[in-house]
Amino acid sequence: MKPYVLRRLALAVPTLFLVSVLVFALMRMMPGDVATRMVEGHAYAPTLAALRHDLGLDRPVHVQYLDWIGGIVLRGDFGRSYWTRQPILEEFVRRFPVTLELALLTILVSVVIGIAVGIMAAVRQDTAADYIGRVLSILALSIPYFGLAVVVVVLPSIYFKWTPVYTYVGFTVDPLENLKIMLVPSLVFGVTRAGPIMRIMRSALLDVLRQDYIRTAWSKGLSERAIVLRHALKNAMIPVISLVGLQMPLYIGGSVIIESIFRLPGVGLFFFEALGKLDYPVVQSVNLIIAAMVVGLNLAIDLSYAFLDPRIRYR
Amino acid sequence: MSIVTAPADVALPRRALPRTRPWYLDVWVQMVRRKPLGTMGGAIVVVMLAAAVGAEWISPYGFSQTSLLERFIVMNTSHWLGTDQLGRDVLTRLMYGARISLYVGFGAVGLGSMLATVIGILSAYFGGRTDMLVQRGVDAWMAFPPLLLLMSIMSLVGPSVWNITIVLGVAFGIQNSRVVRGVALGIKENTYIESARAMGSGHLAIAARHILPNVMPTIIVVATTGLSTVILTEASLSFLGLGVPPPYPTWGGMLSLAGLDHMYQAPWLAIWPAVALSLAVFGFNMLGDGLRDLLDPRLKGG
Repeated sequence: MKPYVLRRLALAVPTLFLVSVLVFALMRMMPGDVATRMVEGHAYAPTLAALRHDLGLDRPVHVQYLDWIGGIVLRGDFGRSYWTRQPILEEFVRRFPVTLELALLTILVSVVIGIAVGIMAAVRQDTAADYIGRVLSILALSIPYFGLAVVVVVLPSIYFKWTPVYTYVGFTVDPLENLKIMLVPSLVFGVTRAGPIMRIMRSALLDVLRQDYIRTAWSKGLSERAIVLRHALKNAMIPVISLVGLQMPLYIGGSVIIESIFRLPGVGLFFFEALGKLDYPVVQSVNLIIAAMVVGLNLAIDLSYAFLDPRIRYR
Repeated sequence: MSIVTAPADVALPRRALPRTRPWYLDVWVQMVRRKPLGTMGGAIVVVMLAAAVGAEWISPYGFSQTSLLERFIVMNTSHWLGTDQLGRDVLTRLMYGARISLYVGFGAVGLGSMLATVIGILSAYFGGRTDMLVQRGVDAWMAFPPLLLLMSIMSLVGPSVWNITIVLGVAFGIQNSRVVRGVALGIKENTYIESARAMGSGHLAIAARHILPNVMPTIIVVATTGLSTVILTEASLSFLGLGVPPPYPTWGGMLSLAGLDHMYQAPWLAIWPAVALSLAVFGFNMLGDGLRDLLDPRLKGG
């Protein structure tokens, strides 16, 4: 197991290097010059040249890149925002719990719905329950989450005088109030993501239920509940977990939209606002941090297979 | 005589009958016969196509034709789906919006499929160091959450129909090159490739004449199932103001937060674009699923 992990980590290094070059190059090609905007509209510095010198934009491009990446690798310093001059990592760490909580609750909602309906559809294959489940999953798949979110924000406020809570409260400050705020966004996001999970759960479980060891379990006289929940479900979870893992980037990308609709102060909103202000260091560093997380997550998911299915061994 | 022919007729297995239709026509016949959901999806797509192509002739209004006397109509005989804050006809705007969705969808998927084919086949065919280099590049691209990367690029190149089509096309191409590569790797090992090489065919001829036709069904499947994703991504980018700029209507743009204040007064402004988008995604998903079942070589005969 250990050599396998080390090999995967070694492979991640060139990938992340390419990622950093890619985001850096992209940001340097931005047409709108952030310095011009900062001097003209907001008088951050007396002259353009002074500000560019201040921000280090007058140095050669490769020096700027080495400075940025060197800071990250050597000192764990992800740079500062051009506009606020605040360290990016600090802001990221402050906002990350919001996005993480949103992602986890969303996954929870979609996995609970997806697995429950998926089990039902598989165990009662080709019955009414199966068809209803499959139709629901197709519907859920078709509804764009931001469309549903806008409708959920608008309709209840007209007919029930209910609006989502817009003043954010951290989980550590007031867990109940916090969950009340997160409930609607994660439900909206989670419901639209439950479709694929349900589909894959159904087909994986159908596959497992036809295997020999399940027949053995039946002939031992075990109850259906024990066979499905204790023997079949665990093995059928592998494709579900890899799907959730594959979708993780989608959850993070979608959080930009969900956070801007429900006004949650998370990483997605941070990124979106930085993009609008051409705040290169923020966009670069947030992209890099998240890409690193995705790479790490993929590794963690691959390793979790060995735990779920004892037949899988990594060497 | 009749005694001889009757058993012969019965004994003829149905599968052995030669197919007279070429496969690309046969697929549609099979679809209508065997895939009701796929047919339904196809019908939705056809309606959407007709609305998009014929928007000028079908609708008496222009997409940005305002009428301050007719603001916030829920629905009546002259405005079937109502009007918005400027008195613009919602149905008309949806039809022109369908045009953008289809334009960007087909454009990006067409461009992306070509790109995926070229990258995938090259990477698989040459293998070795080329494959290694190309695949690390694809790895790096795939490490990004797609929306974040696309947002970064779109704010870089600026919102326009052309830009979003090209950006989504390139993204689609890079992502799906891996699927094409996987299939091409398998085809490369066939003996007919070896014999083609022995007969002195060049690399290009082998790639174009022997690998490409065999990868084709996979590419069609990737393209049709990808259409709904591309349409959704275009809508999310337009929703964020990074897609197609106003005044040209897009479904994502019509839903965007810029109009939120008006939606409280006129909820149909939120509902209809959301419904249109859901219907389109549903249609393309079902059509794609149906085509995949009928075309995917791995599912054939099963």
